[in-house]
Amino acid sequence: MRRISTLAFGLVFLLCVAGLVFANGSGEKAGGTSGKITIAYTGYPGGLTPFWAQMTQYVKEAAVAEGVDLVDLSPTVADAAQQKDSVDNAINRGVQGIIIGAIDNRAFGESLKRAAAKKIVVVAVDTAIDDPQVTALAQTDNLASARVMGQYIVDNVPMKGKVLILGGTLGHQTGDARRDGVKQVLEANGYTVIFRACDWNDAKALETATNELQANPDIVAVFGCWDPGALAGLAAVKQRNLLGKVKVFGFDGLPAAFKSIKDGELSATIKQDNKQMAQVIVHSVVAQIKGQPGVKKLLIDGFVIDKSNVDKYLQ
Amino acid sequence: MQAGSSISTRSQIWKGIQPLAGLVFIYLVFAIASATFRTLDTAQTILTQAVILGTLAAGPTIVLISGGLDLSIGSLFVLVAVVIGLLLNAHVPIALVVVLSLLVGALCGTLNGAITVGTGIPAFIGTLGMMKVYRGIAELLGANQDMSKFPASFQAIGAGYLIPISIMVVSFILVYVFLSRTRLGYNCYAIGGSNEVSRLAGVPVKKYYLVYYTIGGLFAALSAIIQASRLNFTNSSWGNGMELDAIAAVIIGGTSLSGGVGGIGRTVIGVLIVTTLNTGLSHLGVSSSWQRISIGIVIVLAVWLDVVQRRRELGA
Repeated sequence: MRRISTLAFGLVFLLCVAGLVFANGSGEKAGGTSGKITIAYTGYPGGLTPFWAQMTQYVKEAAVAEGVDLVDLSPTVADAAQQKDSVDNAINRGVQGIIIGAIDNRAFGESLKRAAAKKIVVVAVDTAIDDPQVTALAQTDNLASARVMGQYIVDNVPMKGKVLILGGTLGHQTGDARRDGVKQVLEANGYTVIFRACDWNDAKALETATNELQANPDIVAVFGCWDPGALAGLAAVKQRNLLGKVKVFGFDGLPAAFKSIKDGELSATIKQDNKQMAQVIVHSVVAQIKGQPGVKKLLIDGFVIDKSNVDKYLQ
Repeated sequence: MQAGSSISTRSQIWKGIQPLAGLVFIYLVFAIASATFRTLDTAQTILTQAVILGTLAAGPTIVLISGGLDLSIGSLFVLVAVVIGLLLNAHVPIALVVVLSLLVGALCGTLNGAITVGTGIPAFIGTLGMMKVYRGIAELLGANQDMSKFPASFQAIGAGYLIPISIMVVSFILVYVFLSRTRLGYNCYAIGGSNEVSRLAGVPVKKYYLVYYTIGGLFAALSAIIQASRLNFTNSSWGNGMELDAIAAVIIGGTSLSGGVGGIGRTVIGVLIVTTLNTGLSHLGVSSSWQRISIGIVIVLAVWLDVVQRRRELGA
């Protein structure tokens, strides 16, 4: 029995050692005892969507370029409570700045107050967090870009009918802006909009699109508020043999969407510049930590990628 | 005979101490490895982060000791969260929201118990089915609803350290009293040890199971109330995998999956082991994926120890 217990403790010890080995930077570094700035990043799980996997990579590259240590505390599941915990852990860890790519922008109130009390600079990337403690934001101008997409749909789907919007989580700043931008333009041009919240969940988008296409044979277009959701909508359209009759549009500008556009399936997507977002927000947080002026708000215009220009962006 | 009994007692004591020793060991390793970990702030954060899991795990502690299993508590959690959001959107008074939410949780728990004991369907299958049912209802009710920005008095339930930690501690005390001071509680061990023997001894097993599952639902609801108030929003995508997290914490603490053995004290330790590992690894800059791997290994280890000890006891 003792042998087993020894083994058990040994394994836990090994885990801790593994933790030290895989640590991006030791706890001692945080707080600036080594003189180097340490910032934390907690974003939407990269494993769930390529957009955020790219974002994480770009943030890391930007941190290296700025000469600061970066600790990635992003959760592996889209759980707002876990992300709030990661912010709390970053605060306790003594980092000087935190970049949040919010799973849900409404979750952080109390944690942000704690960060402010400890004079930790908190900034947001991609999704705005409506809180005075968040001192900078870099994101796509979702509303304006969605309006551009709305107009594109109007120009390319001349037959007025129903348009299905597959949305993110209701109340999520980014998802709501994309929904509103497209909806405003479509409704102003006589289209009927069916909006369904899919919680950024690809499987839910597929299920929703399948059901709505079945229930509404007069749907002429599907807009997914995020590219994987749009591709799920496209799968539903193909399942029902409606490719060509029902056009599908996305938002993000991910490689998978580009390939689909090239193949003549997805009609168009909005390209977001997540590399620029990452560079700007990392520079801003570092500048603020150093007491220098940094960009407070950067709204980047998204632009339409369709068959006419997709080759330029296909890697 | 006396020597065998002495070895058995020592074995039981050692079995009880192991998880606590493990927790202390893990805490000390992180405290040595990271200066920022060994602070009062971090200790408070660990306790605060343990609240949701701890309150949720109080229910499965009782259900698992009784030999049952409830896989639906994660979905029940989200169903209650959606109900909270809808009631608050409808400007229902906070006290009534809390009472109704607990009621929904308790009723769903009772239904789980009724399905399990009434139909004879294995608990795994019965509660797996109800897991789908509750999530589906939550999705229906929560579809196209913005449930956020709740009144300050509701937010106060999960705000700061004091109130949520107090709620968790009181929950643990209540479960302790239930298991050790009530007929329903100590029969829980008897039923978990041998359902059939308990029935032959005159214990109303089916009736008792209803109570155990009801309590499980009640704690899932309480946990949902705290999370909704802490995050200041709810939606129908919450709760995925939470049932497994809660069951894992109970097992890591040393409560047996086979029933008849365990206690709320062990669950407290299990919850703290999980939370301390997550927090400690975060302080070391270890990614969430490695945190998951660590918890997974600890679960396997805990169950393995349980299996080995049971084999040893049977052989003694």
